[in-house]
Amino acid sequence: MKPFIEQIGSLLALKRTERPEEGYWQDFLCEFHQRQREEVAKRRTFSGLCERTTDWFSELVGAKWLYAAGLAYAMLMAALLVIPRGVEVEAVPSVPVNHQIVPAPAPAGQQLDELDLGPATQGSVGEQVF
Amino acid sequence: MFFRQPQQPDPDRDLVSQAQHGDTRAFDALIIKYGDKLYGLVYNMTSHREDTHDLLQDIFARAYQSLGKFRGQSSFYTWIYQIAVNQTLNFLKKRKRRAGVSLNDPESSAKDDPGLADTAHPANPEQQSNLNELQKRLNEAMRSLSDSHRTVVTMFDIQGIPHGGIAKVLKISEGTVRSRLHYAHQHLQSFLQDCWEQRF
Repeated sequence: MKPFIEQIGSLLALKRTERPEEGYWQDFLCEFHQRQREEVAKRRTFSGLCERTTDWFSELVGAKWLYAAGLAYAMLMAALLVIPRGVEVEAVPSVPVNHQIVPAPAPAGQQLDELDLGPATQGSVGEQVF
Repeated sequence: MFFRQPQQPDPDRDLVSQAQHGDTRAFDALIIKYGDKLYGLVYNMTSHREDTHDLLQDIFARAYQSLGKFRGQSSFYTWIYQIAVNQTLNFLKKRKRRAGVSLNDPESSAKDDPGLADTAHPANPEQQSNLNELQKRLNEAMRSLSDSHRTVVTMFDIQGIPHGGIAKVLKISEGTVRSRLHYAHQHLQSFLQDCWEQRF
């Protein structure tokens, strides 16, 4: 035999009276506040620096621009002083260049004429002399 | 109580307003006021005391942080109840994924938990024993339901929220609520059949 739906409903309704044990909510509240404090502290740690920077810039009006400009100028000057300049190259004493005029080679035709093509200088047929 | 008529003011308006202005005691009062109800909801959905405790901490923390966004379009109770249901359903999804926990798996901590057995209705010892046994079996039956079915049974049968209220919180139609309830009741009936025959 199955229980009726109404009987199941009545059984389930008994659960309405369930409560956590005595003193549970006091401990719960203590833990809740502790967690909230930790959460706030964590948020402050991580975002504190960002917030302060943002706040500072958001409040940057009027005279603060002057401070900012001064700060930027000082940083630029410091950078110029601190950053090493390029290495200076030692000056090499100048030496006059020794120019020698090389005569231009004779034209090919002239070179051919100057060659000694007499029989004494020629090898036999098919023979090359180096 | 759950469904406030639009013209009716929220009974927690003053406490909520004070809490929104940073009065932590006012928020404590809201925790104390609705803690038991939300405890019942979360516990009957998770069947686990430690999970219930951790979830309630998260639920109230979320509500406290979001209090500034609360505009009073619903009552505070409806609002925080909705947070509780959503957080718990998300938690159940994660728990199932994380540990491969099946609702059919026996969870001894809840099965024999006296907290789930009613002790507010003393009868003769034999009747009480039968009732306790039946309650244990009912807890098992509840855990064998899917999350969505267990949720509607918890809200309707245990918490006494009307169909319309459940539909609003779960963002489903009233027809779906009734259908889920019908299926869940049939399942519980079948599950309890053996035990019922032995006892009555």
